[in-house]
Amino acid sequence: MNLPVIETPVFPRWVWIEEITYSHIPIATTITAFMLLAPLFEYVGFRRHDPRWERLSKSFIWFSLILFSPGAALGTGIPMFIIGTYPEFWSRWANLFFWPLMVQFMFFLAEVFFLFFLYYLTWDRWKNRKPLHISMGVCAAFFGYMVQVVWDSLGSYMLTPGGVPLPQVDEPVGFSLQAALNPSFPFLLSHRTFGNFSYVLLLTGGVLALRYMSQKRKNPSSENTIYFGWAADTCFTIGFLCFFAQPVIGWFYARVIQREAPVAFMAIMGGHSSTHFIIKMVMILTLLTIGGTFVIKRHSNKLMAWGITAGLLVILVIIQVHPPLMWLGGSALAWRVVTTAAILGFIGWIWLCRGKTDPKRPAWQWAMFAVGLAAFLAFAMGGFVREHSKSPDTVYGEIVKPELTDTEADRYLLYDKWLKPRNEMPEDLVRKRPESWRAKVEQARRDGLELTDDQAERIIRYLEENY
Amino acid sequence: MDFLAEAKPFIQFPGGAKFSIGFLGIFHTSVASLAIGFAFIVTIFQIVGYRRRDIRFDTLAKRVQLWHVCIYNIGTINAIGLVFALSGLYPQFWSQIFTQFFWTMMLEELLFFMLATTLTLHYFFWETMWGHKKLHIFMGALLTPMFFLQFFIINGMSSYMLTPGFAEEQVSLWSGTAAILGWDKLAFYNPTFLMLTLHRTAANFAYGGFFVAAVCGIWIYMQQEDKLKRWYEIGGRLVFKIAFTSFLALPFIGFFYAWVLKYHGKEAYDNLMIGRGDVVAGGVDWWWTKQLIVAAMIGLGLVFSRRASKSKDEFAIPMPAVYAVTVIYLMFYLGMGMQMTWLFFWGSLAAAVLAGLWGMHLMNRYEGSGRAVFVLMGILSFLTVCLGGYVREASRPRFVTPAGQRAAGFNRIPQYTEIYHPQERADSMEMRIVRGQPDYADKLPRRPERPKLEPETAADIVSYRCISCHTLERIHLYKGSDWDRVVGRMRAYGMRLTDEEMQKIVTYLAERNEKQENE
Repeated sequence: MNLPVIETPVFPRWVWIEEITYSHIPIATTITAFMLLAPLFEYVGFRRHDPRWERLSKSFIWFSLILFSPGAALGTGIPMFIIGTYPEFWSRWANLFFWPLMVQFMFFLAEVFFLFFLYYLTWDRWKNRKPLHISMGVCAAFFGYMVQVVWDSLGSYMLTPGGVPLPQVDEPVGFSLQAALNPSFPFLLSHRTFGNFSYVLLLTGGVLALRYMSQKRKNPSSENTIYFGWAADTCFTIGFLCFFAQPVIGWFYARVIQREAPVAFMAIMGGHSSTHFIIKMVMILTLLTIGGTFVIKRHSNKLMAWGITAGLLVILVIIQVHPPLMWLGGSALAWRVVTTAAILGFIGWIWLCRGKTDPKRPAWQWAMFAVGLAAFLAFAMGGFVREHSKSPDTVYGEIVKPELTDTEADRYLLYDKWLKPRNEMPEDLVRKRPESWRAKVEQARRDGLELTDDQAERIIRYLEENY
Repeated sequence: MDFLAEAKPFIQFPGGAKFSIGFLGIFHTSVASLAIGFAFIVTIFQIVGYRRRDIRFDTLAKRVQLWHVCIYNIGTINAIGLVFALSGLYPQFWSQIFTQFFWTMMLEELLFFMLATTLTLHYFFWETMWGHKKLHIFMGALLTPMFFLQFFIINGMSSYMLTPGFAEEQVSLWSGTAAILGWDKLAFYNPTFLMLTLHRTAANFAYGGFFVAAVCGIWIYMQQEDKLKRWYEIGGRLVFKIAFTSFLALPFIGFFYAWVLKYHGKEAYDNLMIGRGDVVAGGVDWWWTKQLIVAAMIGLGLVFSRRASKSKDEFAIPMPAVYAVTVIYLMFYLGMGMQMTWLFFWGSLAAAVLAGLWGMHLMNRYEGSGRAVFVLMGILSFLTVCLGGYVREASRPRFVTPAGQRAAGFNRIPQYTEIYHPQERADSMEMRIVRGQPDYADKLPRRPERPKLEPETAADIVSYRCISCHTLERIHLYKGSDWDRVVGRMRAYGMRLTDEEMQKIVTYLAERNEKQENE
């Protein structure tokens, strides 16, 4: 298909599309998380007769409405920008997923209808009909979540097509169940769901902590001060506990990527996306250490301490069995020992500092905010890594981006034809660097590695230039 | 991507692709137009409230803005649905038009985001900005120009679809080096762009105003307190009169719009005026229906304005203006020289009189309150917006196969490809409006032939054609050898040249450059 591609000024088009997308996604994920939590919190408040829960719930919805219009406007911009800059991808992808896109549109309409007209506008009017009002919130949350389900399905297809080819635009498909239920879909969906809860609540907790500080300065015993202190703590703690689902889901997700999109997996685990992945891990480490310390200082009961301990032990197990991580640094044993010592040390720290010091001090409020930011960065970096890892493919193994460079093409070839058949990771290219790459490649070909002359030359050139 | 040659089917949609796009398009347009009207009305209410120091106007403005925020998101989501539907159902058309108008769409998108943010801040920070009322009103007032900028952009694209104008014969987006990428000025400023924009501007003010008045009418019905009822009556009357003033401009603009269409979209014009093509659906001529509804609206508005003009306490539209527009509207088809003038005239007159009588009855029943008229006008106004959008889209010629037949799938090819054969369509049309030459035509003296100014040399062609857009200096300064590409691009921009003329120019300019280099 010979479609003309629009060139963009200042930055290449992939930068523009990422900027537009990343301006939309945090808004959309915040709204979705708030919409799911609002009726739940309202229900808790209703059952406990505690107005703080309702106030928190209403503020979630109020904030969601503020974000809604700009977020939706940005969301409209994404397909429009893609149609012009990646026309072939869009035409073929929209052909494969026409009906899910239409269904998503219906869900979106239903979401607005319930959220604006039946949940927000009726909040005071139906104050004596709480179950009805909460059920409207549940409907809004359901449709909002369905929108996320559809997008996760379509987005995960781009990384793991699961053997469903991207049809040409003159081969109308409309919908493929196999493509929609592609291998990584359930893992992306659950990873994003818990990720949204976690990062949104941690960030909300951090922001509310700053508001608590500001209220405390004005009047330490006012109703607002008490409310913001409670709200910050509640959001932060729930967000922190939600995080523990992430490593478990993430492990399964990584396994699926390893099987279905091995080149992308290599890119993340030591390849060209690994720097970003490591930044993400550093953010998670910050979140765990500072957040964990705060939560255990604030909630000194044993149940919380055991809960955090259990979560950390699960993370420890995952780190031990995660195949590529074991090889980081070159020694599986060293890796295991260091991570075990660090996590066990942290568990000890948790039990030691349980209930000590005053978590209401300003420093801790700032720490909560910092953890919120770290959680947000980890979330943003995660999305970036997922997209970046399949580069230069737009849909893994199906279509490459128009601005493909020779270096990117050679790198892909290296992962696909050199590392994958030899069961190696990009890290091994550094650790097992030979005297001559040419000699090594030639030897491998003699040993049975299937490479054409051209492919061998490109791989050698890439290895000599980069390793 | 030659769908025609491949004869491949498209994605099928229940009820047809046209139906789905039509439904989404009308749904979106009716909501988006309302949003434009709402933004304007809110500003008016805020200014009136601020000047009169009357908080009730500000409260009403806030209530309208809340509705605006709610419906705005429905409009936005509809727009997204429309984009998805067009991508799947009309992939070739959609890719092509995006290639042609990409930067236009990006600007539209930027405005969209700015609008959404401003609207959100304006409503949700109403109380917070209470101490900065002028700034708050200014922020709200910004919405109207932003809406209009956004709406100009969409008008440029949609009017191009009806009257491609200069781009119609020359531009092919698939012609290789001559392809236009991202921005096509000649296509954007096509013949009906101005008229469509003017028509929609006045219509949006009218529609938004009538809708707000209708909401006030409903509130009057629902309220128990007399004080609040009075208050909604005042708000409703004010906004109704503003809307009706704007409405009165529509027949004038509509006349000139139709006039432009007559010359630049002849078949569409004929389809509208004599009820052909998709303008007639389900046995109903929807253009006529719309015109009858407009006549009824004029009748209702006239009765209301007449009653209002008797009151010395409120602003009133001068009645001579209302009568004049009514008469002009009833003469619309006469002005257009159409055959069905008298049928239309009596039909419209009947609709206007009946609606006027009914309006009088409703106002008498509610002791002078306009509540029922407000609601009725809101409904009629909504119908005209929907029908107006529908008939404009439906009036475009149907697309046919190269053999001149309508076949499944082929009706999704855009107008400016080679698939549209107007001459084949013209044969099958009963051109009842064309009366042919009068008997005395042959006896009239013949108009003398104008001396032809045919350019003879390539240099002449360069002088005549190129200078219409830029100076010859630019040609002299250009030292490249790729004249075929340059001239190809100029053709894409709208310069009318035959292949032979183009070849002449390219050879001439290339030789001239070569000669200069040798010297």
